[in-house]
Amino acid sequence: MTSPIETNQPNLARRLATLYGVAAFVSLIGLADAIYLTVEHLSGRSVRCTIVTGCSEVLSTPYASVRGIPLAAIGAFAYFTVFSLATLAAFGYRGMGKLLTLMVGAMFLITLWLLYLQAFVIGHFCQFCLLSALVITTLMVLVVVSRGVKARKPAAD
Amino acid sequence: MKRVLPFIIIVLVLVAGLLTALYLQRSTAETPAARLIANPSPSANPATTANTADSGAEPAQVLGSANAPVTLEEFGDFECPPCGLLHPILKQFEGQFGPTKLRIVFREFPLVPTHAHALAAARAAEAAGLQGKFWEMHDMLYENQKAWHDAFDVRPIFEGHATRIGLDVEQFRRDNSSEIVERRIFLDGKRAHSLGVTGTPTVFLNGREVPFESLAPDKLKALIDSELAAHP
Repeated sequence: MTSPIETNQPNLARRLATLYGVAAFVSLIGLADAIYLTVEHLSGRSVRCTIVTGCSEVLSTPYASVRGIPLAAIGAFAYFTVFSLATLAAFGYRGMGKLLTLMVGAMFLITLWLLYLQAFVIGHFCQFCLLSALVITTLMVLVVVSRGVKARKPAAD
Repeated sequence: MKRVLPFIIIVLVLVAGLLTALYLQRSTAETPAARLIANPSPSANPATTANTADSGAEPAQVLGSANAPVTLEEFGDFECPPCGLLHPILKQFEGQFGPTKLRIVFREFPLVPTHAHALAAARAAEAAGLQGKFWEMHDMLYENQKAWHDAFDVRPIFEGHATRIGLDVEQFRRDNSSEIVERRIFLDGKRAHSLGVTGTPTVFLNGREVPFESLAPDKLKALIDSELAAHP
């Protein structure tokens, strides 16, 4: 692990740290959402029909798991990774911002695919999946903005 | 300290995440219905359960003898796909165990607004019940679930079912919007809520909730067999 970077541009560094800090916080919302969905999936409650959510129609489809692993569990792992990378980036660890951008970019593309599946293949939307999509979109905006800030700060990453 | 702090935060979040998952998993297992499993009544009799829960519509929609040692009570929604999958399994058990051993009770639990036609289907079944053909309509609804699920107007489809099972269609139409049918659905829903039922299908075997994963044919059959062994 590389050590925190030193910078001679304290304002930009502070802005970057704030952006990564916000990204870490937002990823916690996604993590909580994914943990809830994983427990729902594993307990079998998502497979039955319920009053409270439209998630059963989505989570009972084959798209809800990959080789037997609930997609929500993979999401929880991904959100935890995003949280870790964002936290390390916020503390100025080199290379973490780049990894975070790659990770969030990949998650954003997967989210677009999942939204397409819900809209055009399954025909139902699960609000917890939509919350995750909102979280990923917010993270995407944050990492794009952070890359913009970083472009003005050549010493970083 | 600044170098170590992010790792401490990451570990703390990991621990908090695992604890949250554990808590959620436990709270899933501690619904009122699940408590019935953990603390079954001494006689494990549905009547005993009824003492603590609302009784539901009377008389209930029942198949099988009142003296049957095993009672399987299903809270179902005719538009719910997993309920549709459970239907042939229960039909198979109905023939396999016979009315003297297995008693099947159906309770209406239409999931509104999750399913657009669930309430109309529940009304159709209860209206058919007023002419003594609840189970015929029940079977029709489940067996043709996919056909009416996506329909805009289900009334002509259900009236078609009514004709096919030999109902007086005019009477069926009137009963569909009758107070007695509404009341029966309401009372079954009240019973469902008092038992902590939140989804369908939810099945109680001799008053104890069967976990959803145990509704697979072989597992459910094993549970019925063990109840029969305990109450010969």
